[in-house]
Amino acid sequence: MKRGDLLIIGVVLVVALVLLVPRFLGNNSSEKKHNDQRYALITVDNKEYKKVPLTEEEQMITVETSHGKNVLKVHNNGIEMHEADCADQVCKSFGFITEPYQTIVCLPNRVLVEIVGGEEGADLDVITK
Amino acid sequence: MSLQSDATLALKRVVIISIFAAIAVVLSIVESMIPINLQVPGAKLGLANIMVLTCLMFLRGRDALSLIMLKTLLTAFIFGTFSSFLFSIFGAIFSFIVMYLLIRGFGSSFSLIGISIAGGIAHNIGQLTAAFMIFKTTKIFYYLPVLMITGIITGIFIGIAVKYLVKSLSGLTLFEPFAQTK
Repeated sequence: MKRGDLLIIGVVLVVALVLLVPRFLGNNSSEKKHNDQRYALITVDNKEYKKVPLTEEEQMITVETSHGKNVLKVHNNGIEMHEADCADQVCKSFGFITEPYQTIVCLPNRVLVEIVGGEEGADLDVITK
Repeated sequence: MSLQSDATLALKRVVIISIFAAIAVVLSIVESMIPINLQVPGAKLGLANIMVLTCLMFLRGRDALSLIMLKTLLTAFIFGTFSSFLFSIFGAIFSFIVMYLLIRGFGSSFSLIGISIAGGIAHNIGQLTAAFMIFKTTKIFYYLPVLMITGIITGIFIGIAVKYLVKSLSGLTLFEPFAQTK
């Protein structure tokens, strides 16, 4: 270990923390809107594929395109990747997401799942239309 | 040794690149079989980086670059992941550029540990940037800070591995003409 190594580690840690800290602070404000209906916005190749309300009860959404097939599972007001035919399976490691800043990405299949709040979602719809 | 012709040297380079590429591919396969889930999407050990970094220590930049191209192509063939080929190559080349500049420019200020950390994180940033160009949303970078922290940890281990590997390889006849006094 040389001094330069410690410098790299230090710089990386500082940058990571600077990016992480506002996120923890920002979490409180999103608590307020917790009663809002949230949606999962599924996009494939940058085009909106489907927008599903995140319901308590379970529902399966199949995203089948020329890139591949993904099955998403909605339950407990959140969503997770249930099945994917991609090779790396990285999309499954995103886990179960519930908050508006979280995403699920399946790079090989060009699938992006974002969570949007009720209002934000309405705005989005207006824009895309 | 001094009578060694350029042709022999060139041949040795090709042999080393080929062996390293083969090992890098095997390491990628081994890595995909290790059932460690780091709970961070996109985080990986980056075992193949051991070979790239070792190659940079012995051979020229363009040799390491051909090693990267070979390795990325071969893994794409084996895993059948051509759709994500663009992302792999983007990450690999970005990581290579950062490590190459650090070694050639500031080689004396950093040990292999620092270089492998920088290379690993550059790999993450390169891949995320490629993903950003496809998805066009900055949300892609959401996991970057966490990836940076896991990158430090994996980078330290990869750096140590390279240190030992360079030391043992330097004793082999094949690597003798390329051994550095660093």
